[in-house]
Amino acid sequence: MSATRTALDRVTRVPGVRGALVIAAADGLVVAEQLMDGVDGRAAAALTGSLVGRLARTAESAGLRPPAFVHLRGDAGSVLAAPGPDDLVLVAVVSPDANLGLARLEMIEAAERLI
Amino acid sequence: MSLVNFTAREITCKIVYYGPGRSGKTTNLQYVYGRVPESRRGRMVSLATQTDRTLFFDFLPLELGTISGFTTKFQLYTVPGQSYYNATRKLVLQGADGVVFVGDSQARRFDDNLESLQNLQDNLLAQGVDVRQLPVVFQYNKQDLPRDLILSHEEMDDALNFRAVPSFPADALHGAGVFETLRGVSELVLKRLAVGSPVA
Amino acid sequence: MRALEPWVVQPLESFLAESAARLTLLMTSSGQVVAQHGFSRSLDVMTAAALGAGIVASTDELARLMGGATFEALVHHGQRQSCMLAAFSTPRGRWIGLVVFGPETSVGIVRLFFEQMIQQLAAAAPREQPAAPMLAENFETELDSSLKALFGR
Repeated sequence: MSATRTALDRVTRVPGVRGALVIAAADGLVVAEQLMDGVDGRAAAALTGSLVGRLARTAESAGLRPPAFVHLRGDAGSVLAAPGPDDLVLVAVVSPDANLGLARLEMIEAAERLI
Repeated sequence: MSLVNFTAREITCKIVYYGPGRSGKTTNLQYVYGRVPESRRGRMVSLATQTDRTLFFDFLPLELGTISGFTTKFQLYTVPGQSYYNATRKLVLQGADGVVFVGDSQARRFDDNLESLQNLQDNLLAQGVDVRQLPVVFQYNKQDLPRDLILSHEEMDDALNFRAVPSFPADALHGAGVFETLRGVSELVLKRLAVGSPVA
Repeated sequence: MRALEPWVVQPLESFLAESAARLTLLMTSSGQVVAQHGFSRSLDVMTAAALGAGIVASTDELARLMGGATFEALVHHGQRQSCMLAAFSTPRGRWIGLVVFGPETSVGIVRLFFEQMIQQLAAAAPREQPAAPMLAENFETELDSSLKALFGR
């Protein structure tokens, strides 16, 4: 579990990150989380797991490799996802003013070291 | 509690066959299963031990036919009879619309019948159900055995049937009394369901 | 899809659309079917409901014996399809949901939208209890002939 904790610490240190989770993508369940109040971890895990799975299948059917990073942008912020090994996905919920470049860098590196 | 679907005009009722171990509860369901056309019954589920003793329950869904314009379905359950399975008996008894108490007519099983009947009352009471308000019928099974081994219908009534509810002698293995018992309990359950009709 | 009462339909339809579940069964805690989607034979639905209610009742009892609160949901992960059983409170008493789903969705999604359905059911339930059916005075005669036909007599 220390690898997941380290990953969550790295991501939540980035300015503007409101929470981070490690999820099991196929099940859409939370493995570990560090969230600010108001972020629904279970919903984020279920929906992001589904999204990443669908994107991977879409990419595969188009003859592409599965995505290394997903950025879902909305009015009130973004959801970022970085798939890691063993079907694990590192997810971050960020506010609109977050440092997205740094968050992306930290997430991709941390996701590779999830186990 | 019976469920009524007014849109599809369906009534579904839960009937539990209760009684001491090896009194013939499962045999009742097996006989019904064997006699009823496949289109009118579902699969019979038996959660039993390797020696065919009921472990959790037997279950048989039946489509009775149309009563007052309602397609009437019955769910027949049995409980495990052995005294140490009381936890599962309680679970199966939940929400029962009617009970068939299957007594073993053999004289040597006299105490087992009484103990099981007491246990039925205790379990109903624990669920807040007054046994006097619940449709119950008695079936005295194994009446085909030699007379010197069994108690007669009247003797069984004297021993168990204090409220004088309908009671039926039976030989469930060969089917005698099975139909009459099911008819008896069905009538009480449906009577209770009908508005304003008191339970017999 | 079939439902005992019309107010159950919309929450269940919304759950089915969002969760992509294959089969869904709502039942009372004593195993009586309240609504269902995906089963083709009504008698099989009753069997599934009886078994589902039995499992939930057993796990509740097990949880009680272990001195804890009741289990929130029970999930059986299969190779091709999985099954979730969860009990919940409604204004009509305690109900149980049995959901069968495949790899096209996930347990997280199913649980998420199942919880949403529970809230919608609570909001949609009418206050008054359903009425009892009026049976005709001669229902015993009908019962008798139905049972005789059933037993081939």
